[in-house]
Amino acid sequence: MRHNWIMSSTTMAPRHGYLATGAPGPSPAGPPRTQPATVLTVIAAGALAAILLWWHQTPSIHGLGDWLTNAGRLTGLLAGYGVVVLVALMARLPPLERGVGADQLARWHAMGGRYTVCLVVTHALLITWGYAVTAHTGIISQANALLMSYPDVLMATVGALLFVGVGISSARAARRRLRYETWYYLHFYTYLAIALAFSHQFAVGAQFMTSLPARVFWGGLYACVAAAILWYRFVTPARQAARHRMRVISVRREAPGVVSVVIGGRHLQELRAESGQFFRWRFLARGLWWVSSPYSLSAPPEPGRLRITVKALGEHSHALARLRPGTRVLAEGPYGALTSAMRSQRRVLLIAGGVGITPMRALFQTLPARPGDLTLVYRASEPGDVVFRDELERLARARGARLFFVVGRRADLGQDPLSAATLRARIPGLDQHDVYVCGPAGMTSAVIRELRTAGVHRRHIHHESFEF
Amino acid sequence: MRRVILAIVGTAAGLVVLLSFKTHSTSAAATPPAAISGTSGTSGTSGQASTPAGSSGGSSSSSASSSPSSIAGAAKTVTGTAADTIYGPVQVQITVKNGKVTAAQAVQYPQGSPRDQQINSYAIPVLNQEAVSASSASIDAVSGATYTSGGYVTSLQSALDKAAL
Repeated sequence: MRHNWIMSSTTMAPRHGYLATGAPGPSPAGPPRTQPATVLTVIAAGALAAILLWWHQTPSIHGLGDWLTNAGRLTGLLAGYGVVVLVALMARLPPLERGVGADQLARWHAMGGRYTVCLVVTHALLITWGYAVTAHTGIISQANALLMSYPDVLMATVGALLFVGVGISSARAARRRLRYETWYYLHFYTYLAIALAFSHQFAVGAQFMTSLPARVFWGGLYACVAAAILWYRFVTPARQAARHRMRVISVRREAPGVVSVVIGGRHLQELRAESGQFFRWRFLARGLWWVSSPYSLSAPPEPGRLRITVKALGEHSHALARLRPGTRVLAEGPYGALTSAMRSQRRVLLIAGGVGITPMRALFQTLPARPGDLTLVYRASEPGDVVFRDELERLARARGARLFFVVGRRADLGQDPLSAATLRARIPGLDQHDVYVCGPAGMTSAVIRELRTAGVHRRHIHHESFEF
Repeated sequence: MRRVILAIVGTAAGLVVLLSFKTHSTSAAATPPAAISGTSGTSGTSGQASTPAGSSGGSSSSSASSSPSSIAGAAKTVTGTAADTIYGPVQVQITVKNGKVTAAQAVQYPQGSPRDQQINSYAIPVLNQEAVSASSASIDAVSGATYTSGGYVTSLQSALDKAAL
């Protein structure tokens, strides 16, 4: 289906050069970034350490009761560790945010969260069963004994129920049966759940009751993560608010339901924001101040100015259209790993879906590339959804970059306009490109599949999708 | 979905492997390990000093008269030294008659936590029973009460030694 690819500007390089020279390879030393593989290795090493703690402290196992109890202890230890990891992933640690990306961190968090909730439930069941077998009582009376006479177990059980509740709310939110805002606040109950469940680990946990070093190490782990949360999620935003004093400068309607908000502030260059990144914004206006939402920069950061562009997807983004200039803004960030630091090839293809154009628009302007090396494919369902048309065409002309608009609903087009075959035909040397993809989750995963089919190496595909 | 199944199966398999390694290592050692091999020795010396003081109550007369044990038919009560476990000391008292253990009871055992109470309220009677029927310290550990069993065996052995059985 070639005809729905509309090429918007010629490939011919302008005579007067380009905005930035091509400099492929790793980007110059910027802010620290931790590689995803490193993060996963550290997480796995920690889990191994928890298992070794159990191994070291467990003499030998006799009979069914011991088996069940020890299986319960292992799952409990791993759950206690998993909780720490889950919180740490969401602690907004800058090297993780820039190296792994909030999007990937959130996916790990969701996956790990489901796993940890399962571990918590398994732990409770196995311990109850195992203790009942050892003490030669029934499950019910054992559960009763655990809740009533074991120190802190009742509290931990309430914590576990909260974990399960938050897990269910997340599953519902993922299926869009729950408002983003409700889900966001329900998630704060996990802090309460962790606090409730913490003390029973030391009060009745076999691995900790008898070992002071284990208690010190475990307590230190929790304390470090708590400190990171406090620092990066509370202290840093407060300091940034005081330092940068951001306010809304102007609000502009780009398309039906899409608005751009320009935000001004002082010393913004100190934030070291990059094209492709986003902030979590909190607008201090009625009905908006109580939730912070992630929106990408839709233009490269300029001295004293940041621009975001938002499509009305939820209640919150809808209310942004009514923002008045001068409204105070709190911003957390910058976050996101979809920057030029990902780049390793000379040629770059940017694929944007819908409002996923926003970070691509910023990258389209600043990614170092020689004329002809940069291509942007902008997918939209309807012509009215296309934003920044003029800006993009101007940039394409100035940089000698190629720009395609691929517009139309998939059902009407009759065929995937971003299939492997079409992409290969349209983008010569596709497999020698770095490909940046940003769009709705479904579109992003479909495009990645096609790119892989077309022979693009996994390492060269960089993506972000705007789920929550 | 495949990932979910993989996670569940992987975790379960990992647990089973870890646990069966621990199970394997015990079946080789027929007798349960004494709580902490070092402490049973040290508490032996310190315990012997304290035992007369501790047993100066009801059982002192019989305990002190452990030398004329050749008197046949007379029952005597001997208290073993307290054996330390990580959950607390275990101390066993036995009654001996005609070279046989006729009664055994733990005068001291861990009761600090609800878990200790639960486990030992079951384990101690079983161990007492085993001591009487074996008339020696080679008795089976009670599953789930590994530490208590270890301490019990250590203290029982010291009581048997004192009774010259």
